Amino acid sequence: MSSVLERLERLPRRNLTVLAIKGLSTLVPGGWTNITRADALIGDVLGSSDPELIRQVRARADVLSQARHEGYGRALSLYDAVNRSQKAAGGLRLLANIGGALPLVKRVADLTPTSDRLQAADLSLKVAAEMLAFTQVNGLPGDSFGDFAAALGDYAGEARVRMAALICFDALLPLGDQALQRLDGLLGGLHKRDLHQLPAYAGMARLLPGRGDGAHLTFLRRGIAPWLGWAEGFSSQLGLTGQKAVQALEGTLGPWQGSFKQMATFLDAFTDTYQHTGVQAVARRLVERAAAEI
Amino acid sequence: MARALRWGVGLLLVVSLSIGAFVLLPFRSWLPGGTVADVPLSQVVNGAAFNRLFPEPQDGDQLVFTQEKRGFSEARLKHGGQVKALLAISDVTTAPEARSKFEASESRLQGWPLVEQGAQATALLVADRFQVKVIGQGEGLDPEQRQDLLARFNLRGLAALQAPA
Repeated sequence: MSSVLERLERLPRRNLTVLAIKGLSTLVPGGWTNITRADALIGDVLGSSDPELIRQVRARADVLSQARHEGYGRALSLYDAVNRSQKAAGGLRLLANIGGALPLVKRVADLTPTSDRLQAADLSLKVAAEMLAFTQVNGLPGDSFGDFAAALGDYAGEARVRMAALICFDALLPLGDQALQRLDGLLGGLHKRDLHQLPAYAGMARLLPGRGDGAHLTFLRRGIAPWLGWAEGFSSQLGLTGQKAVQALEGTLGPWQGSFKQMATFLDAFTDTYQHTGVQAVARRLVERAAAEI
Repeated sequence: MARALRWGVGLLLVVSLSIGAFVLLPFRSWLPGGTVADVPLSQVVNGAAFNRLFPEPQDGDQLVFTQEKRGFSEARLKHGGQVKALLAISDVTTAPEARSKFEASESRLQGWPLVEQGAQATALLVADRFQVKVIGQGEGLDPEQRQDLLARFNLRGLAALQAPA
């Protein structure tokens, strides 16, 4: 298994994913830089460019990411699982979009989960994956629930562009501008068997707390509530809407003629934004720890 | 020929099944490499024990805990949304090589050896076991400011910590 920093260095420097995040980052103050060099990241955290120190931090980071109990690798496999399922679902929907006219492919169109409810479930799975990854990477910081909530808020603030991408690509574009307000109702109408239509669920089920689909569904509904509160504040503060997201994306990806839903499908099928920014977030936390331990 | 083929297919099946079982079944937790540097968890002080030893934030500063693992706890010192410094306590049991830099150190803080690492990091080794570190972020901190922060940790409490039996 490759280490976290190796994964970081293998991230693309310029492709559709990078362009999509770059486009969206114009909506977020502070912007986004595509860090793909481990040495640059270490130098940034350590405030020093001494090659010997950087080598030590790197060696320590590799030791830490090899240790399974430390959870850095596990967080990455969570992101990978979500990414795989997003691509599979996106590809199917794309096929349904393109081939709606062909008789054979029409069958596929009937099979694809396009309903809002499933889209909402998909978003809640992503948020749950995000929280599980948070506890894998950071443990349970602090002594009280307040400390933990502060740590979670701090993490979300650091990953502002990542969160904006999650809100825009997985909520506002496919579900409309009232997505965050509607989400609670949509999740309320979700049935246990709906979960099994989500490719990501099979991969994540054993990592979710509780046993059985019922318990997992409760976890998803409850787990998304605190995030939802934060996300509503965040998106109203930045004034995020589907319209603005598409305009921002057009800045880097070129003009878009289709609907918002088609844009969401296109992004699902062809970009890895969730995984890309996820690897960068994990790598930063790992380097912060390694720098403190050398 | 058919007999050889049957044996071949059978053998292939057995080999692929055992490889598959090894890869897919949860045997991995039995293998070494689960913990940092293969040191058993019971020999490392839990990070939760470090939390209360961090300095109390002063004049408008804010302390936000960011990571807590076995043998490690880290917090950010923030001021008005900007991160001023990373503060961390770690148990060097899993990183014995971290001790060596303190051997040549002349400077002392409350009797414990102190080392500067690059332009923004200062480290202190308490009781030959716990490394306390301050790393300046953003605009950065002077060495005096970093040492002042180190002195505000509860170093006596830290020295009194023992590994769990």
